[in-house]
Amino acid sequence: MNGNSRKRPPPTPHTPQPSPAAKHQATIEDEFVDEDVFLDETLIPEDEEAIILRDIEEREAIVARLARWARPALSDDYLSQAKNILFQQLEMDYVVGECRKELLPDWSGPAAVIRIFGVTTEGHSVCCHVHGFEPYFYISCPPGMGPDDIARFHQTLEGRMREVNRNSKVPRFVRRIEMVQKRSIMYYQQQTSHPFLKIVVALPTMVSSCRGILDKGINIDGLGMKSFMTYESNVLFALRFMIDCNIVGGNWIEVPAGKYKKTAKNSSYCQLEFDCLYSDLISHVPEGEFSKMAPFRVLSFDIECAGRKGHFPEPSHDPVIQVANLVTLQGKDEAFVRNVMTLKSCSPIVGVDVMSFDTEREVLLAWRDFMREVDPDIIIGYNICKFDLPYLIERAQTLGIAEFPILGRIRNSRVRVKDTTFSSRQYGTRESKEVTVEGRVQFDLLQAIQRDYKLSSYSLNSVSAHFLSEQKEDVHHSIISDLQNGNGETRRRLAVYCLKDAYLPQRLLDKLMYIYNYVEMARVTGVPISFLLSRGQSIKVLSQLLRKAKQKNLVIPNVKQAGSEQGTYEGATVLEAKAGFYEKPIATLDFASLYPSIMMAYNLCYCTLVTPEDVRRLNLPPECVNKTPSGEMFVKPNLQKGILPEILEELIGARKRAKADLKEAKDPFEKAVLDGRQLALKISANSVYGFTGATVAQLPCLEISSSVTSYGREMIEHTKKLVEDKFTTLGGYEHNAEVIYGDTDSVMVQFGVSTVEAAMNLGREAADFISGTFTKPIKLEFEKVYYPYLLISKKRYAGLLWTNPKGFDKMDTKGIETVRRDNCLLVKNLVTECLHKILIDRDVPGAVQYVKNTISDLLLNRMDLSLLVITKGLTKTGDDYEVKAAHVELAERMRKRDAATAPNVGDRVPYVIIKATKGAKAYERSEDPIYVLENNIPIDPQYYLENQISKPLLRIFEPILKNASKELLQGSHTRAISISTPTTGGIMRFAKKKLSCIGCRALLSNSDHTLCLHCKGREAELYCKTVSHVSELEELFGRLWTQCQECQGSLHQDVLCTSRDCPIFYRRKKAQKDMTEARQQLDRWNF
Amino acid sequence: MEAMEIDSEKNLQRKQSIYNSLDEKFLIHKETYRGQQYSQIYFARLHLMRTLLYSLVHDWKPHLPVCTILGLEEGKECIVVGTLYKHMKLKPRILDEYSKERSATPLVKPHNFMHPDDHLILEDESGRVKIGGTMLSPSAYVTGVIVALHGKESGAGDFTVQDVLEAGLPPQIEFPLKSKEDKFVVLFSGLSVGSSRSNPLEFQLLVDHITGHLGDEKEQGTAAQIVHVVIAGSSLEIHGGLINGQNLTPKDQSRMSEPIKELDILLAQIAVSVPLDIMPGPKDPANFSLPQQPFNRYLFPGAAAYNTFRACTNPHCFELDSIRFLGTSGQNVHDLEKYSEAKDKVEFMERTLRWRHLAPTAPNTLRCYPFTDRDPFLIESCPHVYFVGNQDTFATSVLKGSEGQLVRLISIPKFCETGVAVVEAVSCH
Repeated sequence: MNGNSRKRPPPTPHTPQPSPAAKHQATIEDEFVDEDVFLDETLIPEDEEAIILRDIEEREAIVARLARWARPALSDDYLSQAKNILFQQLEMDYVVGECRKELLPDWSGPAAVIRIFGVTTEGHSVCCHVHGFEPYFYISCPPGMGPDDIARFHQTLEGRMREVNRNSKVPRFVRRIEMVQKRSIMYYQQQTSHPFLKIVVALPTMVSSCRGILDKGINIDGLGMKSFMTYESNVLFALRFMIDCNIVGGNWIEVPAGKYKKTAKNSSYCQLEFDCLYSDLISHVPEGEFSKMAPFRVLSFDIECAGRKGHFPEPSHDPVIQVANLVTLQGKDEAFVRNVMTLKSCSPIVGVDVMSFDTEREVLLAWRDFMREVDPDIIIGYNICKFDLPYLIERAQTLGIAEFPILGRIRNSRVRVKDTTFSSRQYGTRESKEVTVEGRVQFDLLQAIQRDYKLSSYSLNSVSAHFLSEQKEDVHHSIISDLQNGNGETRRRLAVYCLKDAYLPQRLLDKLMYIYNYVEMARVTGVPISFLLSRGQSIKVLSQLLRKAKQKNLVIPNVKQAGSEQGTYEGATVLEAKAGFYEKPIATLDFASLYPSIMMAYNLCYCTLVTPEDVRRLNLPPECVNKTPSGEMFVKPNLQKGILPEILEELIGARKRAKADLKEAKDPFEKAVLDGRQLALKISANSVYGFTGATVAQLPCLEISSSVTSYGREMIEHTKKLVEDKFTTLGGYEHNAEVIYGDTDSVMVQFGVSTVEAAMNLGREAADFISGTFTKPIKLEFEKVYYPYLLISKKRYAGLLWTNPKGFDKMDTKGIETVRRDNCLLVKNLVTECLHKILIDRDVPGAVQYVKNTISDLLLNRMDLSLLVITKGLTKTGDDYEVKAAHVELAERMRKRDAATAPNVGDRVPYVIIKATKGAKAYERSEDPIYVLENNIPIDPQYYLENQISKPLLRIFEPILKNASKELLQGSHTRAISISTPTTGGIMRFAKKKLSCIGCRALLSNSDHTLCLHCKGREAELYCKTVSHVSELEELFGRLWTQCQECQGSLHQDVLCTSRDCPIFYRRKKAQKDMTEARQQLDRWNF
Repeated sequence: MEAMEIDSEKNLQRKQSIYNSLDEKFLIHKETYRGQQYSQIYFARLHLMRTLLYSLVHDWKPHLPVCTILGLEEGKECIVVGTLYKHMKLKPRILDEYSKERSATPLVKPHNFMHPDDHLILEDESGRVKIGGTMLSPSAYVTGVIVALHGKESGAGDFTVQDVLEAGLPPQIEFPLKSKEDKFVVLFSGLSVGSSRSNPLEFQLLVDHITGHLGDEKEQGTAAQIVHVVIAGSSLEIHGGLINGQNLTPKDQSRMSEPIKELDILLAQIAVSVPLDIMPGPKDPANFSLPQQPFNRYLFPGAAAYNTFRACTNPHCFELDSIRFLGTSGQNVHDLEKYSEAKDKVEFMERTLRWRHLAPTAPNTLRCYPFTDRDPFLIESCPHVYFVGNQDTFATSVLKGSEGQLVRLISIPKFCETGVAVVEAVSCH
């Protein structure tokens, strides 16, 4: 299925360009539009095909080299069509083409054919054309409409449709209109069903044009002008098909022998291609045997481009010089194909098939052939969707290689590209292309990780450092061209780097269990896998809702995006935080999945909501209606069981089962599947509430969401009251309990006892007691104790977390600056170390001393520079920023110094704040750390003290210390200051260098001496000091530079890496420089 | 010697021998840190060792082709020479300070970083290949060793090893003709003057013993046969807290210089009567990375006044009556202990000789100066006596080479812990 919603331009005569791209705004998450792709228009005409084929013949050598990676050959059973075809589907889309006459003899004209792509257990690729499924939607039938009226209505509608779609050659737009008995999901209704009209149209896009007509109003004979509310008219065609056939994303589908017909002329590169009727598909529920995974082929790739100095690579100028590929079979640890395609010769690499070419054209075509031969089911990489794939295609266009972009599984079909602009904080706003590769799932690790994890940086380097604890060697793009222009050896160097970039996404995919988790998520929610990355949460809930509604004979209205008009509602409650440092155990009472439980407990759903008028009109007895704290009314389950509660019950039940099975499971793959499933179920259960509250979603219902939060608030207050009423000295307990803080779904209680064990017992007692007062399945759980606990303010705390009395599990912090990326590392280190000392060592004076020492080091210029580096992304050029920012100004200055190495838009700019003339603005005082190191430029300790470390520190220490600010920031430790003298500029031009005594810094008249007369006799001591300094540096130097050798993966080659994201980059540089100076000092002793 | 004349009737004459220092290659003169990296030392090492191994391969398996790693072809049997790299899961890395969230429990520092998942990789200038097969045990090898391997590339891109060739013991200069007289060299290490473990009395006794101030005539006669003393590192231990870049109070100044003066006095006592070589070691006031440079003469003004006192490098190499001594203060063996295993210290020593490299783990895990054009740690000529200082226990054995080389291996214990000094007879094995 295509990744994103697209608008299709009106059909135009074929052009040799990839489908003309329509300008498209940054996609709004929940815009659903089908796009009809006309088979005859996308395919390359015969004459042109001949050129490509001839070309392929010329390229036989390379094709033969690739052929050994082809998929396993088909067995005779398959060839004779005697076997049922069972496959796991991964990708689904539809095209408009002619139907197969043998299957549907009565049909004429173009129709939508669903294509399902998948893989069999043996690893054969499958392309299944499904015929006979028609797009449709519902409208409610106006009262008194008879069969004759329907026929007339049909005619009118057909006429209007013809007016709107003039160019279309479809013989009949509205295929038929049937009267069916359904009920709307909205509001409680006593009648089980009403008449609805099911309108079946010829092509999927006609659903929306037909909806448009009906929305605006249509003149019907006898009824006059009437506009209709449409139902389920916003469901994508492929999803509609999946729902109606009970197919969920990534499940197994079986087509019995005899029910399928091999296609007359293969339109795809798949091994098994056939036509069948949608009614003949058998969809297997993903359980037991069918929960396994087929051996998909996963291609991970990365490209390198030779950029020009000072510019980000652009496809119109800069050649693609290397493409590295790694193909892995799902479930295997090792890749079975590793190769790299290079422009110009490249020395061999062990275990890697190096293919070198003389022209870029050959490189690109080799990659295309590789793609076809290896036939990956899933394409992964890092930022491939926004960079690598569009770059390759645009580059091919620039070079005029019309036959390049045949990368999908359909023969002679070019990939479709369309323009998007995307803006992100990290990469800035960039024009970009979106690429559709038919039959292959694109899984961009960058998108997935951005979506699932909150990290301070999303560069491949820091992501792999975070998840794989591995630094990635980073070759600056200005060096890439130099390496390319060198010899086979330097290009080999580049190839190794490129391969590593192709390998890391695969490792991340494995490490984060993405295949399992996403396939399971698709199975649980029933959407195609490609939806998970490209669309928001709401489609997942919608898919479940539609499935459930279908079972219950309900239909879902297509509500206009009411948006902000409905206003907002009160969110979750946060109890006042009683800030302080608690040295007694704090028990935490948590509501287990609070919001889903509330929806289940109070039967909150679209179909149980009743308006006050309806309560009166229907004369509902009060015991059958629940009034929520926010004032909405919902009927109780005896009258009508809600669909949302039912979905939730199923999800939660399924999660329990999955967790139980997980305990039993032995096989690691089965375990992975089950773990992925329970995670998917948990996420899905929690997203249902959000679906009802999101005002731009498909079916917002603020009555439900505001009721949920109001119940939540009530429960937190209720819990607080019960705890403080029951656990008192009057009630026979040792101490009075006190609720010190409460947030959304948890309450923190100080029971006053001093041991963790006692707190745990009371916590359990309280949880059981309070749970008893709630409607099932709402349950208060006791899980953990914080001891000690530092509560700073709401949503900011730190503490040691205990789940059993024997020992604490970990230090848990929330909302405290340890990860914010616009802080320098010093802040993070300082905060972590202080918390460590306060909470674990229970040594507050020690923490204070540590802070003082650090501040003193900072003021005495003894701080490791890398700790002071602040990094910000450069998202646009200087002129576009409204306010002057430090990193932007620096980038400009660096460009003036040396355009080649200056940061570009999209790069991250590291800087430090230096001392400058009085009154200079902060943005004028930013400087490149390397420049600072090389020229001994003094940093500005005051800036760091005031703007970086003081706030976070005071936050921590204020609950603990009286006068924290005075104590920490103004003590005697702040008196001594030392500032290095710059080697360039300023007064140094007039200064004369003279040696000073190592012991007392007195100037020496005779430069042969090391010590002044006064210090004679202290040689041993002073020498020890000098030499120990050298020792320390030597050790550091060795550790740093060997680490870089390890990252680079080579002992015999010099380290090139210039990754400024790497924490040791500046330290490495500094160690080298300090070493030189220290040795000079040491040498003064040898005369 | 005056004391002797008074106490004994016979005038004992201390024996003498001809000393020749071979420390030149361990000295760093004008070389400084100019941005050079560690790749060059590996390059120099591989270059020299490869030439040597190629000449040996000819006798070892003349029928097999010799390849570079680039030239490997799947299924083709051949011989490759390269530097081993051991991939170790538990190896401490400086990046751990950053990447791991600080854990609640402090990381215990293990003494050995081996893990069953460790594996070896062979590297030359052209590339790397993972080593497969059971022939080469990762536990016995470390990063930086150069070997010739016989094997073939498997389908998975591994190099399956069938046989290994190490360089073996280097050629030895002929052992001089046995002299008639017995001569001895005293070796000790780990005095740790200034630490709480150091025992001034024991050390004084040792000094007196060496200088011939102790025992009866027989013992003094033995003492007179001592022709040389070598201190193999860790003579001093300076209180770490004193060195922090800040100015010291006069009291701390003396706390720091006191042990140095104490040692100086005793060293002077030895130097008066016997030639003395002192090597810097792990905790001494000397530079950290190998080769450690000689102590500065300012440290021991008393002893340095004698021309019998020699501040040497670590590693240290010298000839005494044409008998070649080579030794270190122990860092090389300590590092091997952390990253590989063997039945005892002597086996580690044997390995370094067979690999013809004093400190293969430098620069990878053992710190060393980034040499640009040479690798001073290569053992080009086999010593007759090979010692390492600062070990836990005394151990010794004789290693025989395939070409008749004979090497006395000595593991010298820490004097402050064991009170043991080693007396090695120079004249015979």
